[in-house]
Amino acid sequence: MHDFFNPSAAYLPAKKVAADYEAAKGTIAHAIGAKASDLVITAGATEANNLAFTALDTKLWQTDFVRRSRHAEALGTESIFLDAGLGSSSTSYAGARAEPSLRDEPVRSGRNIRVENPNHFMHQKKQNSVPNASVLYLITEHDSVRRVAEAYGGEPIRVLSNGLIDLDDLRNKITDETELISVALVNNELGTIQPLADVAQIIREVKIDRMKRGVKRQLLLHSDASQALSLLDINVARLGVDLLTLNAAKVYGPKGVGALYVSHEANLHPLSLGGGQENGLRSGTENVPSVIGFAKAVELSKKHLAFNRKKYASWKKILLEELEDYELINRKHSLDNFIVLCYNGIDAERLIFLLEDKGVYLATGAACAASKGVRSHVLKAIGLSDTQINGSLRISLGETNTEEQIHEAAKIINEVVRSEERRVNG
Amino acid sequence: MAKTVFVGMSGGVDSSVSALLLLEQGYNVIGVYMRNWSEDLPGMKCPWAEDLADAKRVAVKLGINFEVWDFEKDYREKVVEYMLAEFRKGNTPNPDIMCNQEIKFKLFYEKAMAAGADYIATGHYARVMTRGADFVSAEQARANFEKLPEASTELVIPAQPRRSFKRFARRAANCEQNLPTESSSYLLRAADENKDQTYFLYRISEEALAHTIFPIGEMLKPEVKKLAAEHHLHNAYKKESMGVCFVGEVGMRDFLKQYIDVEPGEIREIESDRVLGYHEGAIFYTIGQRHGLYLDGEKGVVNDGMPYYVVKKDLVKNIIYVSKNLNHEAVWTKELRLRDVLIRENQEGRPWNKQVLTRLRHRAPLVPARFDGEILHFESEVKRPASGQSAVLYDDKICLGGGIID
Repeated sequence: MHDFFNPSAAYLPAKKVAADYEAAKGTIAHAIGAKASDLVITAGATEANNLAFTALDTKLWQTDFVRRSRHAEALGTESIFLDAGLGSSSTSYAGARAEPSLRDEPVRSGRNIRVENPNHFMHQKKQNSVPNASVLYLITEHDSVRRVAEAYGGEPIRVLSNGLIDLDDLRNKITDETELISVALVNNELGTIQPLADVAQIIREVKIDRMKRGVKRQLLLHSDASQALSLLDINVARLGVDLLTLNAAKVYGPKGVGALYVSHEANLHPLSLGGGQENGLRSGTENVPSVIGFAKAVELSKKHLAFNRKKYASWKKILLEELEDYELINRKHSLDNFIVLCYNGIDAERLIFLLEDKGVYLATGAACAASKGVRSHVLKAIGLSDTQINGSLRISLGETNTEEQIHEAAKIINEVVRSEERRVNG
Repeated sequence: MAKTVFVGMSGGVDSSVSALLLLEQGYNVIGVYMRNWSEDLPGMKCPWAEDLADAKRVAVKLGINFEVWDFEKDYREKVVEYMLAEFRKGNTPNPDIMCNQEIKFKLFYEKAMAAGADYIATGHYARVMTRGADFVSAEQARANFEKLPEASTELVIPAQPRRSFKRFARRAANCEQNLPTESSSYLLRAADENKDQTYFLYRISEEALAHTIFPIGEMLKPEVKKLAAEHHLHNAYKKESMGVCFVGEVGMRDFLKQYIDVEPGEIREIESDRVLGYHEGAIFYTIGQRHGLYLDGEKGVVNDGMPYYVVKKDLVKNIIYVSKNLNHEAVWTKELRLRDVLIRENQEGRPWNKQVLTRLRHRAPLVPARFDGEILHFESEVKRPASGQSAVLYDDKICLGGGIID
C-alpha cells in the first residue's frame, strides 16, 4: 500500500511518503482538534505517558533544550524558546524538509537538539526527584501513568465512590509546587468519564492566583485519552489539556503505536535521541505503516462514533436486563461499552476460566486471572470490598460484537454463574 | 465417604495430571498453589503469578476447589537462608531437597492435615508402597495376578491410584492390607527411571510419606503429557521449570551475587602454586569442575590441550586451586564421607555394611557401594561430587535414605 522509502530521505519518492505520513498525522490530530505539528508519534500510550511527564524536567529545559514546531516557527509565532547557543544546523535530519531560510540562522532551528546531560532520563528520576506534590495524578490511573507519576514523587488524587475525581481533594492538594496534573479522560477499568473541563477550570483559577502572587511555576494538565477516542468527541481546546495521550489499539488500529498531543505551553525532553524526528521529541525512523493504519482507524472510528454510541447503549441495556443476580458497579458517568458487575460470594476468576471455554472472554478485577497477582487498584479506590472485587466481572463491548452475541453471552454468563453457585453451595 | 486429598499444584503438567487422576479415582480433591517465592530478580520477572493462573485454570476446569497457601517467609528462612549459608561455607547445596523436607512435606502436609486432609499428593515422579508387601518381580506379579480369583476387586482405596487394573491387581496380590499406617510405607523409585525424583525426596518424614500419594509415579513422562493433552489441559506442552526459579533461568550465579559479597581472586595450579588466572568468586566453583575456568597463564604451559580441574578452594584467601592431574584425589575417590545421615525407618536391618546402590546426582546412574554408617565405600573410583550435595542410597527400588556429602 505504501512505499518502503524512509520519509527522511532526500529523493522524491521519499518525500511522497513523508507527505503521506504528515497527512496521516493530520488526520489523527484533526480528530482531537489539533494540528499535525502538535503531535508526537510514539510506540503506544505508555511511551506517550512517559514522554508527557518529562515536562517536569524543568532543570533541563531551562538550560539547553529547544522544542518548537516547524509551523510555529514558519509563522513566526511566539513560543517558549531558549537561546543556549546551539551551533549550526545539524546535518543528520531531513534535508528534504529543512526550510532554506532557517539554515542561515544557526540558533533557531528545531533540529538542533543538544541535551547537556544525555543520561538525564526518566528512570533516573528517583534520585533527582523534584520536590513533593509537583505531580498530582488520579488514583485510578493506569499503570503507565501511575508508575511514572510515582517515580516523579507524585501524589494521588482521590475518587468518589462513583469513580469520578474528587474535585475538592484536587483543590486541597494543589500547592505552589504543583506542576503537572494527570487525569485520564476515560478510566480503563470502569469506563468512567472524568469532568476534565472542570479540572481545567480549577487549574485556570490556580494559574490566575499564582500570577497575582508572583509565583512563577508552570501548571500543566495531562490526560490519557486512550479509551475515549472511539466514543467521545475530543477537542483539546475545549478540554483545556496541555498534553493528551492517544492509543491506536483502542480504535482498532495497529498495536504498538500511539501519539502525544503537546500544546505550546508544555516543554518536554526526548526519551530517545537520534536523528531528531517528531520535532526532536522522538528520534527514530518513523513507523510509517502503523501511523497510516492509526489514521485510518481514527477516521473510521469518527465516522461510526454516533452509531456506535447508540449501539452500545442499547446492548448495555439488553445485558443489564438479561443478566441475573448481579450488582452493577459502574452505574453512572461511564461509557456504554464498559459494563462492570459483581457477583457477591463468587470467585470471578473461576468464571473467567469457565467462560473462556464457552467462547466468552471477559476480565476481572480479582487477583490472578490477569497473571498480575494483585487486586485491581481501581476497584479498591472506589471503595469496593474484597468480596466485591473477587466477584467482579468486566464486560467490554466492541466492533466485533453482534446483537445476537450479546443475547448469547447473557445466557452463557447466567448459566456459568448458576453452575458455579451450585458447586460452591453443594 | 470419599477420602480428601490436598494436591500441590504448581501450574505444571505433572501436578495437573496428578489432580486429574485423583479426581478420576474418586477422591475429594482440593488443589493448592504453594507460593514460596514471589520476588523478581534482576533480569528475570518471577513467574509465580502466571504459574498460579495456570494451576487455577486447571483446577477450575476440573471443577475442584483451589486455594493459595503462602509459605514465603518459611521458604526464605528454611530453604534460601540454608542455601546461602552453605554457599558461604564453600559447599554446593541442593535447595530442592530442603524444600521437600521443610516446606512441601512438612508445612504443606501439616496445614493440609489440619484442614481435614486424609492424604496429600504432589506431581513428583516417585512411588509409595505399604509395608508387608514383598516387592516382587514383574514375572512373579503376573503369575500372582493369574491366580487371582475374580471377586477380589473388593479392596479398600489403595495408597497408589492406578490407571489400569492390572497394575493395581499386582499390588493387591501382594498386600493383605492396603491402608497405609504411620510407620508402614516405603519410598520407591518411579516407574520412569529417567524422571525419578526420589533423589530430592529422601529426607521427607515417615509420617508425611505415610499420608502421601504420588499419582503419576507409575507413569512415564510421555504418558503424562498425552493424558494432559487428551483432557485438553492447556499446560500439556508447558515447558518444565527446572526446580526453583533461581536455579533455572536466572542462574545460581546471578542469584548468589544478590545476597553474597563476592570478590575476584586467583586461580593457582596446586602443584606449582603458580597463578594461572582469575575467578569471579570462590563460591561459584565446585571441586571437580573443569568448565568456566578462564586461565591465561603462561603460554605453552596452560595451553597444551589438557583440561584443568578444580581440586581445592581456599575461601579465606579466596584462591581456587586447579590441577591437570586427572587422578588427583580431590577429583576421583573411592570413599565419600556423609554427614546429616538420614536412614529411613522401616528398613529391615540398617544398611550398615550392606551392599547398596547410590545416586550422587539427580538422574545419575546407580553405582554400587557399601555404607558403614559414616563412609560410603565404592568398588571403583567415582568422580567426587561437590560437598553439600546428597548421596542417596537404594536397595533395589526402595529408597533407604542418604546423607550430605562432606
